[in-house]
Amino acid sequence: MTRLMPPRPMSSLTASRALPLAAAGLAVAALVALPVLTLAPNRLVPGAPVGIGLPGLGLGLLALVAALLLAAPASARTSRLALAAALAAWCGLVLATGQGAAGLLAGKPAAARAVLGSGAWLGGLALAGLTAAAARAVFPRWGGLVAASLLLGFLALAAGGGLLDSLSLTVEYRARAGAVNAAFLQHLGLAGAALLLALAVSVPLAILRLRDGPASRLVDGLLNGVQVVPALALFAALVAGLSGLLALVPALRGLGLAAIGPVPAVIGTAAYLCLPLVRGLAAGLAAADPAVLHAARAMGLTPSATLLRVRLPLGAPVIAGALRVAAVQSVGLATLGGLVGAGGLGAVVFEGMAQFAQDLILLGALPVIGLALAVDAGLALLTNREAA
Amino acid sequence: MNRAMKRLPRCAAPLALGLVLAGLSLPEVAGPLVRLLGMQTGTPVPAGRLAWLARHHLALALGGFLLAGGAGLVLGILATRAAGASVRGALDTLAAAAQAAPPVVVVALALPVLGFGAPPILLALTAYGLMPVMRGTAGALATVPEDVRAAATAMGLTPTQTLLRVELPLAAGPILEALRVVLVLAVATAAVGALAGAQTLGTPIVVGLQTQNTLALVQGAAAAASLAFLADAAWLAAASGLGRRLRR
Repeated sequence: MTRLMPPRPMSSLTASRALPLAAAGLAVAALVALPVLTLAPNRLVPGAPVGIGLPGLGLGLLALVAALLLAAPASARTSRLALAAALAAWCGLVLATGQGAAGLLAGKPAAARAVLGSGAWLGGLALAGLTAAAARAVFPRWGGLVAASLLLGFLALAAGGGLLDSLSLTVEYRARAGAVNAAFLQHLGLAGAALLLALAVSVPLAILRLRDGPASRLVDGLLNGVQVVPALALFAALVAGLSGLLALVPALRGLGLAAIGPVPAVIGTAAYLCLPLVRGLAAGLAAADPAVLHAARAMGLTPSATLLRVRLPLGAPVIAGALRVAAVQSVGLATLGGLVGAGGLGAVVFEGMAQFAQDLILLGALPVIGLALAVDAGLALLTNREAA
Repeated sequence: MNRAMKRLPRCAAPLALGLVLAGLSLPEVAGPLVRLLGMQTGTPVPAGRLAWLARHHLALALGGFLLAGGAGLVLGILATRAAGASVRGALDTLAAAAQAAPPVVVVALALPVLGFGAPPILLALTAYGLMPVMRGTAGALATVPEDVRAAATAMGLTPTQTLLRVELPLAAGPILEALRVVLVLAVATAAVGALAGAQTLGTPIVVGLQTQNTLALVQGAAAAASLAFLADAAWLAAASGLGRRLRR
């Protein structure tokens, strides 16, 4: 029977070879054939494409070398060389775009912008993926973290050294640094408050769910139903509902309740987090072996002591996993808060959309994606340590 | 009462909710309700306009669903063929990365590149729906026991025949469930397309928020939620009908 199966080791080798080669191919194609920069007369109109020519080809070839080194029979030296080559290509791309932008803008009016083109984005993504693959070959456990800190570290160094000052994104950030930083903190506050509110609601519901009854089935149906409602509709319904409530009971305004602002955003975001949280909490609390629960009762522990000292520690990995899913969703959903006047990075994104200003959209969107990935990776690290 | 609830088909609750919300979205119902609650009203959205928006909304959502579902199914099957576990790991990483970019953000990022209208939301729906289908398909196919696959090969079935006649029927349940989740997700998420100028049931919501028209806000929210529940009910009804026919 085993003879009929495809030979596993070989096939996984072809796959681990194919992915870096595909990334290197994408890097070459993006850096050679696509515009790495575009030159626009101002921040609102699309620019004319500009390639970076021979340096682009050189960076692509460097990526190809890294991929071929990774495809060669694995050894510590070739993997380290591959990591160095991939990282060098990344650094080269960062420096080349910064220098290229400065060159393009020389002698142009102050309103002119040198915008990162599709080649830079796709090429950068491919090089980052290649670096991550090489880092994973060198450090099997911490590969992703090492790659992220190396890539972002160099980017931060280059930005701090003023090497990227001519790029349109940097110019836009300098013009709005205060507003964007405040929006970032607001976003963290919205996402954190929603997570806390959802936790406060989910803990009793999860305990209710442990006792299977009609009430727990009703809660289940309700939470599932919320997931079907479009987020935009729920946020809108909350604005309408809150304004109705405030019209009926004006005294609530004194408590800081408002139909527009953070209140509907936090409630709306929290509503979507309850399903993963209740499911994860209930599964975690139910994870304890019945024999262990019997032993706890025999030892004379009260139900609440059993919950806190037996069920909670035993179910911690499952609960931490659910918390991670909910935290990532919270960061993403809080973006819609910008629509109901809650501020946050969503407000930056929507202002950019209203102005059709690409750089402003990016200034709002990139931190949302970065924050979600950072929360995901950070909580994954925490859960892994707990499981180990 | 519990026994009566169990005898009801699974699609009954979303169907009932969808119909109630559809009724609520009509200007003749929403108008008096909003006025009764003492909220400021604006110009109502006529029922004909809502129906037109719902048709556009549904077409967009189904387009995104077909793109995401088709591509996800094919990629999920490919991931479980010859090249095995290492591709699955990469797919899981990609899935996490794709979920980190919410649809609103994808729509916003696509706007300068693809322009106003339908393309940004189609891209967002595909990007967001692709990974759940791909993961669900690959996971479901991986649960088919190796013995069954070996038996099919021993009976002389080609790999394609094994896939179509043995593996896919055995894995159909979880795959259909993943497709249902993505369909409902697509119908719900299509509302966000209104931010990039696509004509969907999100349009009255966005306009209502901008012009402080609570009536349009309520109508759009009820209609968009209604469509999502009705899509869920339709899928559940179709799946149970299909299951009954297959079992016969």
